[in-house]
Amino acid sequence: MNDSDILVPAPDAKERRRAGRRHFLRSASVATLAFGGSALLSACGGSGTSTPSATDSSTPTPSPSSTDTLNDQDSFNFLLNLAYLQAQFYTVAVTGAGLPTALIAKGDGNQTVQGAVTGGRQVTFTDPLVAQYAREIAADKVAHVAFLRSALGAATVAQPAINIDGSASGAFSALAQAATVVAAGAAFDPYASDENFLLAAFMLEDVVVTAYTGRQSTIATTLLIDAAAGIHATTSYHAGLIRTVLYAKGSVSTPSLLTNAGLISNARDAFDGSTDLDQGIVGDSVTSNISPLDSNGLALARTAGQVLNVLYLNKNAVVGGGFFPGGVNGNIKTSAAN
Amino acid sequence: MTDLPQDSGAQLHERLEAGAEQRSERREFFRTALGAGAIAAVGAAAVTLGSRAMADSTSDTNLLNVLLNFEYLEAQFYAFAVTGAGLPSAQLTPGSASTTTVGAVTGGKQVSFTDPLVAKYAREIANEKAAQVAFLRTTLGTAVVAQPAIDLGSTATSAFSLAMRAANIVASGVAFDPFASDENFLLSAFFLEDVVVTAYKAAAQLISTPAYRDAGAGLLAAHAHHAALIRTVLYTKGATTATLRTQADAISSVRDSLDGTTKDDVGISPAVIANSQLAALNGLTASNIVPAGTDGIAYGRLVANVLNIFYLNSLAVTKGGFYPNGLNATVVTSAAN
Repeated sequence: MNDSDILVPAPDAKERRRAGRRHFLRSASVATLAFGGSALLSACGGSGTSTPSATDSSTPTPSPSSTDTLNDQDSFNFLLNLAYLQAQFYTVAVTGAGLPTALIAKGDGNQTVQGAVTGGRQVTFTDPLVAQYAREIAADKVAHVAFLRSALGAATVAQPAINIDGSASGAFSALAQAATVVAAGAAFDPYASDENFLLAAFMLEDVVVTAYTGRQSTIATTLLIDAAAGIHATTSYHAGLIRTVLYAKGSVSTPSLLTNAGLISNARDAFDGSTDLDQGIVGDSVTSNISPLDSNGLALARTAGQVLNVLYLNKNAVVGGGFFPGGVNGNIKTSAAN
Repeated sequence: MTDLPQDSGAQLHERLEAGAEQRSERREFFRTALGAGAIAAVGAAAVTLGSRAMADSTSDTNLLNVLLNFEYLEAQFYAFAVTGAGLPSAQLTPGSASTTTVGAVTGGKQVSFTDPLVAKYAREIANEKAAQVAFLRTTLGTAVVAQPAIDLGSTATSAFSLAMRAANIVASGVAFDPFASDENFLLSAFFLEDVVVTAYKAAAQLISTPAYRDAGAGLLAAHAHHAALIRTVLYTKGATTATLRTQADAISSVRDSLDGTTKDDVGISPAVIANSQLAALNGLTASNIVPAGTDGIAYGRLVANVLNIFYLNSLAVTKGGFYPNGLNATVVTSAAN
């Protein structure tokens, strides 16, 4: 388990990243909070921020290899970008305000540039249940941002530029236009009604679930696997919640919710290549389709590149657009070429 | 280890070998962390952490077979509720390398659904659970275990009745029929769903083979969707039928008390947000669809703790409750709480 890489001089280009990694190893122990402890926080102390004890010079490293750790760091930063997007959407919808600066700044060992949030406003919810759902999800998403940031420590990427605007030129409108939920050039305002809010939440939730489903097996560090599984499950509950509410309201009073969810699903699917990675919420005549699963009963998965296809609203290999006008921050930032 | 394949083919052997290597690495990791943690004189958490990993030395195959036991239970529950019949017998048999025998399902019958939406949900979930059983059986191949005996009965001494009595939903000695109404069906589904989600969540870090990890991730997300569906429907109906929320809360409490003192369950009744890092959220009343801590991380349970709930026993036992003869698996003992 000796990580000899840490002991030898590295090229300048890697220096910063390695420094960030040491902080990451220290702060990866945040995952132990899920078990109620902080032992590893001490065990893996950051190279520049704590005083090593005389006996820990063997450099305990909670990872099979440094490459794996760097990959985990990239994965968590990628997932953090998605958490920024979702947290900003829900918090502004619920409170009218976004995340505090302390939750969007970069870590000490990271050089990414913090971006601004464009658009977003408080929703005047009609159905008190929808308001309660929105609040619950908002609190969870804020917690996810905080958790991922803590796990990443100094390696945390800043929030990138995010577009959650409800005007005709906003990202939600662009997706709604692509889905023909609204006409070309028309606005889809996620903040105008319960129904629009639910459809906008739907636009994002399923994509993030597929991101976690696809990413999980690439994570190497045991504690991070467990943490990612927990966020994965939580996000799946969120997606299941939104899909259930859309299905119920669509079946009882507002049929357009059923068709629009299907159209949005098709649009997402058109961005990420020819494989069917998306499903609407209607089953056959006697079933719902709350869970988007394959024929084996497994939830659908997307690669990071396919996730970015959807969120950049672009089927080609690009580094920005749509909900992330300047691209996501971090080493995973290019959408797949389809 | 009687269920391990004697000759399961080179591919599975390779997988198992690879899995064994990765598990060794993980043990090494925990040992390192443990040692350093001890040096730092912050031992308790690391000891717990280490023992969790080292105590669960089951191979991927054994773990997947345990999860399949849970899938049999869920799939049979939904299959009976929707069709009045159980899974096809071909979906219950042991693989050629397994010495397990097929157990019977006690009870189970079709629900006369009142709300057509609940019927549609039930049919969707039934189809998906059946697909998951088939998938795990195919994946496990010759090593697949048979369905164990399962209790879905409706008598006063049946598993659901005992569970609901513990939750004060029925009085002592009174039967709870999970198939008698939409509400009973939903509460029964609720009892099972969240538990299996926690099982998959905790299993994620214990599975080694990459392909199995992908499958585990897909199954975790699928189950969380099902659980969210059931919780959302109970929450929604609970807005007008308040007992559905309080009864779900009581079921959650029963689960949480059976499996030890760790907080790993939460009911569905609204709660006031506190301790959010976004101050504007604090003080707002929110729903409780996601069983997670304030860190937004969904709860997990080790197999032994899952068995406390399904055996309806807080002690270390090898059978009871929904599994009258225990699991068909190498890990069959619940945790001593």
